[in-house]
Amino acid sequence: MWSLVDCRNVFLAVGMIGVIVFSVPSAMVLVRLPGGERFSELYVLGAGHMAEDYPFNVSVGGDNLVFLGVSDHLGSAAYYEVVLKLRNSTEALPNATSGVASPLPVLYSYEVFLTDGQTWEGGLNFSFSDVVFGENVSSVGRIRINDAWVNVDKSAVWDNANNGYFYQLIAELWLYNGTISSFGFHDRYVTLWLNMTSAA
Amino acid sequence: MRCWVSLFAALVVACLAVNVLPVSAVGPGEADAAVADADGALRGAFVAASDAESVGANVSGLMGRLTEAGAALTGAKVALASGNYSHAVSWAGTCKALAEGVSGDAGVLKSDSVARAAGWWLAVSFGVVGAAVFVAVLFLVWRWFRRVYGGKLLESRPEVAV
Repeated sequence: MWSLVDCRNVFLAVGMIGVIVFSVPSAMVLVRLPGGERFSELYVLGAGHMAEDYPFNVSVGGDNLVFLGVSDHLGSAAYYEVVLKLRNSTEALPNATSGVASPLPVLYSYEVFLTDGQTWEGGLNFSFSDVVFGENVSSVGRIRINDAWVNVDKSAVWDNANNGYFYQLIAELWLYNGTISSFGFHDRYVTLWLNMTSAA
Repeated sequence: MRCWVSLFAALVVACLAVNVLPVSAVGPGEADAAVADADGALRGAFVAASDAESVGANVSGLMGRLTEAGAALTGAKVALASGNYSHAVSWAGTCKALAEGVSGDAGVLKSDSVARAAGWWLAVSFGVVGAAVFVAVLFLVWRWFRRVYGGKLLESRPEVAV
């Protein structure tokens, strides 16, 4: 026969198991496990959806295709804006350390809405027109981004060290802040170096 | 014959007036206002969807529709920048209609989620009360058992083996 102490232990065990069983649904609602690191991704892929075959030598009229991607790991829904800018090698890049976007004008923007864990990818098809080559300088009059023609009037001097007229296409990631009802630079950007050539 | 020609000409002019003139009459101010309006509607729709998400609604479908609306806004901005004001107004209208649809659906999702959250609290309350009742009943059973056990122990006669 069991002693009274053994019986008490059995009652205590049954009681604890019962309390645990009853509190499981409540715990599932109330207990929130800590999430991982909160961040956003911005990336650019080549025409084959791989990190290769990026356009570099570009010329008038030639079609160039890359893919831009954004991933939301912020733990909630997010409204992103991917803005495109064009610079030459003397103009300012964004500064991700100090959180300052490039002061250059926006040529085109993508409005992207994602929930936590979702990824968006969009095609960026671009070409140039009104390109003029002078003595040690080239200038671009217009750029076509997807179906939109935009005036840029950008010039680049000949780079002796790297042998080319270099332009840089910048994609910056901006994030909408509903509290202040405005976008802020999200400290992420990707760039594509482009060498303007006269050859078709 | 001249009467019929005049009538036909008048009809043609009337058709042009109804179908073409209103579209081509869109000015930069109107287009700019339409794009700003669409932009505001899109931001408002996102805030509504975020509110719905904050009370536990699944808003991934709404996000897809907002991205469509965002593409329309991009089209409107591009058309506005290139001076194609009628297209800008058209794209802005598409964007605004999509955004307003999302706002409405986000409100419904939010209401559903709030109702579901109330159900969760009922489950939580049931769990807490259930656990308390279970412990109380077990304690009473334990007290009863201890009395019965002690009684049986007292009733049992010790036998002394010689």
